[in-house]
Amino acid sequence: MIKKALLLFTAFAAFSCQSAEELKTEQYFAEGYQLYTTNCANCHQADGKGMASLYPPLAGSKMIQDKIAMSCIIKNGMKDTIIVNGKPFSRPMPANASLKELEIAEIITYVNMKWGKDSVYTPIATVAKALENCGKN
Amino acid sequence: MFGLQYKRHYSAVVVLLITAITLWSCNGEKKKLPILGERDWVTKKVDGKEVVDTIYNQIPPFSFTNQYGDTITEKVVEGKIYVTDFFFTSCPTICPVMKRQMTKVYKEFKGNPEVMILSHTIDPEHDTPKVLNTFAKDLGVEGNQWQFLTGPKENIYAIGQKSYLSAAQEDRTAEGGFLHSGAFILIDKDKYIRGMYDGTTEEGTQKLMRDMKILLEEYKK
Repeated sequence: MIKKALLLFTAFAAFSCQSAEELKTEQYFAEGYQLYTTNCANCHQADGKGMASLYPPLAGSKMIQDKIAMSCIIKNGMKDTIIVNGKPFSRPMPANASLKELEIAEIITYVNMKWGKDSVYTPIATVAKALENCGKN
Repeated sequence: MFGLQYKRHYSAVVVLLITAITLWSCNGEKKKLPILGERDWVTKKVDGKEVVDTIYNQIPPFSFTNQYGDTITEKVVEGKIYVTDFFFTSCPTICPVMKRQMTKVYKEFKGNPEVMILSHTIDPEHDTPKVLNTFAKDLGVEGNQWQFLTGPKENIYAIGQKSYLSAAQEDRTAEGGFLHSGAFILIDKDKYIRGMYDGTTEEGTQKLMRDMKILLEEYKK
């Protein structure tokens, strides 16, 4: 009886520990989805495939894994030509100055879990550090 | 007992028949699209009798420049139905969605000599013919069926507001600096507005494409 209870307790502890991280990932993903829909999907599309030669795709693009660049581009926009999957895109992307570090982390989480290889969320610290150094390199 | 059952079946068949006939007669009369916009009327004398004639809102002559630098007037849509909208190339909000939807219309009616698309920029200072040319190319549009038009701002805003019944104006508080509606407007061969659709939604675009086919039917004879 005691053995059984102990086993149950251990199982429960392990489960809840795992689910704290999982919960955060799920939260970031869900919030990220909302933010992506409002701020990004107009051009990059809900399916992340972009639009013709006007707006570059995120799905299938290696660029999205570069979280430092992603943070800076989302926050400050960009004006230079960007090569995505061998194709140049030169239309400027507007800045999203009002997005907070958390929100940018959530968008990067969503994009990388949906179309990249990530299985856990991107922490705020990654974004905060990236934003400190935008344009310095 | 059997008789009653037989009677029931009999009446069911009658109801079905009536429904079928009603449906069939509805289909017999072709659906026609309304004429939209403000209307006015005049009283004329025809053969000594007074006749009241309705005047519908009609798109007036226009002159703009397209993505190839050519002057485009109302002559370009002579004998054609066309869809029109307002946008600007640097628009971060609804324009990309509208252009994606319009691309569906373009693909559906590509090569049809009776169909054209006219997209007007509401930011002509930035959207020169050269800028529109690049935009059209990047969107995957070639040829003359889809015209991207620019011209004097007053003229574009005037035709947008007064003739196409669509909002188009400068507004510094709006994202991107311009305020415009997301409407696709369907014009017939006589320059009457026959439908207005929400170009930011899939439903609006599907309805437009259905209505374009209904409108084209009007000219088949």
